[in-house]
Amino acid sequence: MATVEMVSIRKAFGSSVALEDFTVRIRSGELVCLLGPSGCGKTTALRILAGLEKADGGRVAVEGLDISDEPPERRRFGMVFQDYSLFPNMTARQNIEFGLKVQKKDAASRRSIVDRMIDVTRLQAHADKYPHQMSGGQRQRVALARAIATAPRVLLLDEPLSALDAQVRETLRDEIRRLQLEIGVTTVFVTHDQHEALAIADRVGVMSNGRLEQLAPPRELYERPANSFVAGFIGTVNQLPARALQSDRWQVLNRTVVGNEAGTAGVEGTVAVRPEHIALDRSDIGPWTIESTSFLGPMTRLVVAQPGHQSLLVDLASSDAVAFPVGSRVQVRLRDDVGQVTVLTLAPLASRMSS
Amino acid sequence: MSKESVVSKESVVSKESVVSLDVASRGETAPPPVGLGHAYWRRVRPAPVIKGAFLVVVALYFIVPMLAMARFAFQNVPMALLTPEKLFDGWSFSGLWTALSDPGIIAATKTSVLLVAFAIALNLALLLPLAIVTEVHSPKLRPVLSAVTLLPWVIPPIALVVGVAATFRAAVPWFLASDFSLVPFYALWAMPFTYRALDAGLQAISARTLYEAARTMGASFTTIIVRVIIPNMGAAIAAASALTAAMVLGEFAFASLLLKRTLPTEMVNYQRGDPRGGLALALIVMILTALALGLVVRSLRRRGLTVQTAGI
Repeated sequence: MATVEMVSIRKAFGSSVALEDFTVRIRSGELVCLLGPSGCGKTTALRILAGLEKADGGRVAVEGLDISDEPPERRRFGMVFQDYSLFPNMTARQNIEFGLKVQKKDAASRRSIVDRMIDVTRLQAHADKYPHQMSGGQRQRVALARAIATAPRVLLLDEPLSALDAQVRETLRDEIRRLQLEIGVTTVFVTHDQHEALAIADRVGVMSNGRLEQLAPPRELYERPANSFVAGFIGTVNQLPARALQSDRWQVLNRTVVGNEAGTAGVEGTVAVRPEHIALDRSDIGPWTIESTSFLGPMTRLVVAQPGHQSLLVDLASSDAVAFPVGSRVQVRLRDDVGQVTVLTLAPLASRMSS
Repeated sequence: MSKESVVSKESVVSKESVVSLDVASRGETAPPPVGLGHAYWRRVRPAPVIKGAFLVVVALYFIVPMLAMARFAFQNVPMALLTPEKLFDGWSFSGLWTALSDPGIIAATKTSVLLVAFAIALNLALLLPLAIVTEVHSPKLRPVLSAVTLLPWVIPPIALVVGVAATFRAAVPWFLASDFSLVPFYALWAMPFTYRALDAGLQAISARTLYEAARTMGASFTTIIVRVIIPNMGAAIAAASALTAAMVLGEFAFASLLLKRTLPTEMVNYQRGDPRGGLALALIVMILTALALGLVVRSLRRRGLTVQTAGI
């Protein structure tokens, strides 16, 4: 267990900047996901943390001690890679044992640690198989067991589930979280899959263009995104016109709510509203019309259109959605329990995401 | 029970998707009409027939000359007199035994086998560390190395021999007197094969990731190379060695120009006096080399490796 700090990290590959003033502080025993589109610098950040890349500036510290210049073999971290990276010439057991042999542990303690790792990762039936005899999920479990066998101070996971198919991915995801909680190791998990990040992380760091946009617990990230990038990247949002009132108050769909930043009173802006935060009322005079519906199990997503306006996405509980068949005319409003919205006045969402 | 049904459903889905992919790759947009499956595919898929015919032609191209060689070497009946009744007359291995007991051939075989061993050893000693260090430390240099290792093939053997011979004769005259002066030439000449096989092997095992994974576990550079990288290079090393061996056992130009008695030059000499025996010998060398390659491939397969892993 250890606290991890990356402070003002900068890294460029030639002329392209991978990380710029990247700072993250991770508490002991915490699982932090670095989430972002490809090329946002999340893997570079992890590799710098592991010591596999050298930062151009800034520092990396574990337990307050600067380790920026320590090579990876001296950092006592465990790492799991996307493509398993098991040693093909060794069985599962030998792979797990490798790090312990390097640490010069005696045979008896090696054996007991390896046995325990095989137990916790449920690999009993596969312990003596070679990597090529195992499925992707089994191999990644071996890689995980191998990474934690040496009792690392920090566990680093670089998109460990991307190469697996959907069902295995979900099972292994939960297994990683269970193991992480069990041994309490500080963990950094890099992924581009927001569902994965939101499902297992204590806190998620959303990255774009080499910067950390927001680091917050999943719920806060979803409900109070710090800026338009995070709002657009996590989940789905509608962009609605809004008018700035006094201080941080905004008027949206005839309701006054709190915005995450203040605007100039009277000036028009744009705010982000989640599909499930919009309510519909049947109204014969409209002005909105239900254009289409898609059944998603517990929820139903409706596309609500009005000539001259951008269409809105509205999520309703499927039992409520039956009251709004395609073609029916409705009025839209914010749900009563919505108190805060994210203001998107900085720049239009689309251009920020592509820049 | 429920698991089984899920599995079978998946297999159906994957079969369908393979078929539809196939259709897409042929530029066909419509799926096969229901009920016409078999006939439909026969109509739109001439490929298996063409593939089969192509394989037969290629097989004939290789097999016919070898059969003709075998007949000439082992059957003492001139072609003009060969009739269907005489097809099984006059077969004998005596020519081969005579050739195999020829002292010149025996000495040349010994020389060639030693040359093979030394050429492989020299080549691996030079290129294995180079390929590994390049891959794990400076992968950007790979294309440069790949180009440099092709250089020996840009220079014709005659130019290489004349140039090198002139230099060595002046500086270290004793060197060219030895049969083993061929070793550096062969190592150089086999370099393009060897480097490519080793490089492909490193790529196939993702040597760089293995190196990084082992480093995070605290292993030193030497430990990683000795315990992780090289043990997984079996296929590539075997492929590189087999290619070097095949090249050395068939190389004529260098040996002839430097007046060395290796198996190929000696076989040419021998064939002048005894064409049948010489051809029998050539056939045997070819079959043995093929068998040796086959054995290498088989032993690799048993360990879960394929020749593809070694990039040849």
